[in-house]
Amino acid sequence: MRIKGLIFLAIVTALGFLISWISIDPIVESEIEYQASVTNGALVEIEGFDIDLIDLKVRWDRLQVTNPENTMSNTFETGEMELDFLFWPTWWERVIVEDIIFKDFKMDTERETDGYFEIPEEEKNAEPSFVAQVIGDVTSEISRNANMKFTNIKTNINVDSLMSKLNLQAPNKIDSLRNGLSKNYQKWDSTFANTKINKEIADIEKTINAIDVKKIKDPKKAIEAIKNVQKLAKQVDSLKTRAENLKNDFQEDFGDSKFSVGRIDNWIQADFQRAMNMAKLPTIDPGNIAQSLFGENLLADYSGYLEYVAIARKYGSRLAGEDKDKIDRYEGKDYKFSDKYDWPRLWIQNIDLSGETKTAIQLAGQITNISSDQKKTKEPIRFDLGGKDDSNRSMTLTGEFNYLGEEPRETINFTYDGFGLKGTKISPSELLPYPLKTGTGEVSASVSIIDKRFDSEIGYKAKGIAFDFGQNPSKDRIQQLIRDAVSSTDQINVAALVDNLDGPLKVKVRSNVDDLFVNALKSTVSKEVDRARQKIESRVRSEIGNRKEQLLAFKNEKEAEIRKEYEKLENRVNEEIKKVEEKKKELEKKKKELEDSLKNAVKDRIGIDW
Amino acid sequence: MFLLLKYIAKLLKALSSEASPNQLAGGFVLGMIIGMTPVASIHNLLIVVLVIALKVNLGMVILAFLIFSGIAYLADPLFHSFGIWMLENESWQETWTSMYNNELWAITKFYNTVVIGSFISALVLCIPMFPLTKVGVVQYRKHIHEKVMKTKFAKALKGTKLYSVYQTVARVRG
Repeated sequence: MRIKGLIFLAIVTALGFLISWISIDPIVESEIEYQASVTNGALVEIEGFDIDLIDLKVRWDRLQVTNPENTMSNTFETGEMELDFLFWPTWWERVIVEDIIFKDFKMDTERETDGYFEIPEEEKNAEPSFVAQVIGDVTSEISRNANMKFTNIKTNINVDSLMSKLNLQAPNKIDSLRNGLSKNYQKWDSTFANTKINKEIADIEKTINAIDVKKIKDPKKAIEAIKNVQKLAKQVDSLKTRAENLKNDFQEDFGDSKFSVGRIDNWIQADFQRAMNMAKLPTIDPGNIAQSLFGENLLADYSGYLEYVAIARKYGSRLAGEDKDKIDRYEGKDYKFSDKYDWPRLWIQNIDLSGETKTAIQLAGQITNISSDQKKTKEPIRFDLGGKDDSNRSMTLTGEFNYLGEEPRETINFTYDGFGLKGTKISPSELLPYPLKTGTGEVSASVSIIDKRFDSEIGYKAKGIAFDFGQNPSKDRIQQLIRDAVSSTDQINVAALVDNLDGPLKVKVRSNVDDLFVNALKSTVSKEVDRARQKIESRVRSEIGNRKEQLLAFKNEKEAEIRKEYEKLENRVNEEIKKVEEKKKELEKKKKELEDSLKNAVKDRIGIDW
Repeated sequence: MFLLLKYIAKLLKALSSEASPNQLAGGFVLGMIIGMTPVASIHNLLIVVLVIALKVNLGMVILAFLIFSGIAYLADPLFHSFGIWMLENESWQETWTSMYNNELWAITKFYNTVVIGSFISALVLCIPMFPLTKVGVVQYRKHIHEKVMKTKFAKALKGTKLYSVYQTVARVRG
C-alpha cells in the first residue's frame, strides 16, 4: 500500500472540494442572474446567495426582478428563500427542487438603483415571438384611438395641406403590383413561346404519319408498329402532364392567394384611415366610443399580462431540447431500462408563495411544476394565487402553461375585485372627465392561447358609482348631453375582446354606455364629421385615380391572352392523343386481319378447321 | 516534460530490476483499463485510487494508458457494437435493469454502449495481459535491457542533469 499516495489523493480531493466550496456561490449566482436578466429583459438581482453542498440547500436573502418598462421599479421582489435540491439528479446535471418557500413576496416595489440591463447581441431574438407581435398589435390599437377628439372637431379642414403631409401609399403599391404582374406575364409569354411541347407534338405527329398501315403485310411488323405507337402514347401522356403542370403553375402564380382585389381596397382604406386620423376625425360608432373611453386603460393592463405569457413561452422554447448526454470520444448510445432518470434539466415541483401586493392585499398561493421540459415531467405549469385585505378587496390569479402537446397552450384567469373608485376618473378620455364620488371596481381577465390562436376577454365593472360633475353646469352642448346621459347610470360594464380566431387580430371594446355617448355625439357633431369625411374620402380617391380599374383591366387582358395560349397548347396535345389512339386502333385492326388471313392460309394447307 | 522524462527514467529503472514483475504488470493492466474506456467515467476514479493505493509502477500505467488510448480511439465502433450486444442480450435484461435503477451503479454509465463495451473488453483483456506482461518483463530483463541501455536515447537520458538529480533524490529517499 502506498500510504503517501493515498494521503496525497486525500489532500487533492479536499483542496478540490474547498476550491469549489469557495468559488461555486459567486459563479452560480452570476450565471443565474445573467440568464434571468436576459429572459426578463432587465436586471434580476440576488443578494446573499448561498449553496450548501452538504445539506444540498440553496438560499438567498433577497431577489429583485426589475420591471423592463420602468427600470427604477421591480416587477416583484422576494425576501428570504430556501430550497432543497435532490442529490442524485445532480450527477446527471439536473436540478430537481421539491419545494420552495418564498416569503415577503411584494409586487411593484421601488428600486434603489437603476435595473437597466443591456441584452447582449447574441442573446437577442431575431424575430419577435408571436405573443410579442400580439402585444405590439394591441399597443398600436391602444394608441390609434387614445388621442381621438370627439369634441372641438375641426370641420374647416385644409385638404391640400393634409394630403401633402399624408404621402399616400396606395398609388405606389398599386404601381409596384402592376410592375410585378407585368414581369410575371412576360415570363409566361416566354414560357409558352419557348416550350418544347410544340416541337415534341410535331415530332410525334411526324412519326404517326410515317406509319402507313396499308403497307404493313406482316403481323410481326404490325406488333412492332403497335409497340411504337404505345411508346408515342406514353410520350403524349407525359406532354399532357407537363401541360397540366404549366396550368397549375400559372394558376398558382395568378391565383387568389397571390392577388386579390381586396388587398388593393385595403391599401386605399388604410390611406383614407390615415388621413382621417391625421385630421383627428373620429368615427362615431359604439366600438370606437368604447375604445376611446376605456380601451387605453384596459388594453394597457392587458398588454402587461401578456408580457408574462411571452416570457413563459420564451423560457419554454429556450430550455427545450437541451438534454443530450455526451461521452468522450465516440459517444455511444445510452440505453434506458426504466424512466427513472428521465428528468428535465430544471424542475421546481412546488413553490409556496406569500407576500403582499402594492395595494396591501395579502397574497398567497402555489406555483407548481416549473420545468425545462414538460414532456418529461408530464405536468404543465400551474399557478393559483389569491388573497384579500381588510377592506374586502380581493385578487385571484390562476392559470396553466401547457407545453405537453404539439401546440403550446396557455390559459390565464385574473380577477381583482372590490377596489375603491372614489376620487378616481373612470376614463382618461375628454368625453368623461368627471371623477367619481363613490363606487367600487372589478377587473377580470381571461386569456387562452393555443399555438397562434388567441382568444381573450378582459372585463371591467364599476359598481355603485356616482359622478362628481362639480358645481357649475357645463356650457358645452356635448358635455351637457353626456352629463345628462350618465348621471342616471350607477354601473358601467366594459368588455374588451381580443382574438384572432377568424384571421387577423381583432380588438373590440364594448360598454353599456356606448349608445348613450353615440346618441349624444350624433345629435351634435355627427353631420360635421360626415362632411369632413366625405371631403377627405373624395380627395383620397381622386389622388389614387382609376389605377385600380386600370390594373384590373390589364390583369384580365393579359390573363385572357395567356389562357388562350394554354388552351391552344392543350387542344394540340388532346388532338395528338386522339390521333395516336386512332392509329393504335387502326394497327390493332390490321394486326387482327393479318393474323386471320395467316390462320386461314394454314388451315387451307393442312385441311383442319379449328 | 520533466515529469515525462522522470517517468521514462523510472520505467527504465523499474524494468531493469527495481520493481517486481507483478508491480509492472499490475500497472500495465490498470493503465490499459483507463486507456481503453472513456476517461471521464466514474470507474476510472476507482482505478486511479487503486493505482495510487497499490504499489504498481506509475510509468507502466502511463505507458499502457498512452498505448491503449490510441487503440481504443480506433476500436470505439467495435466497443459500441459489443455494448449493444451486451445491453440487448435477453438473459441479462434483469441485471441491467436493476443496476440501472440503482443510482450507485447508474452513475457508472454502464448503460452506455461504449462504456460497458470498452470496460468489459478491458477486463477480459486483463486476463491474458497480466501474465503476458510478467513474462515480457522477465524476458526483457534477460535479453533486451542491456541493448536498450546502450541506445542513444537511453544514453542521452542518462546524461541529462535531470536524470542525475533524479538518481540522487532516489538514492537519498532510498
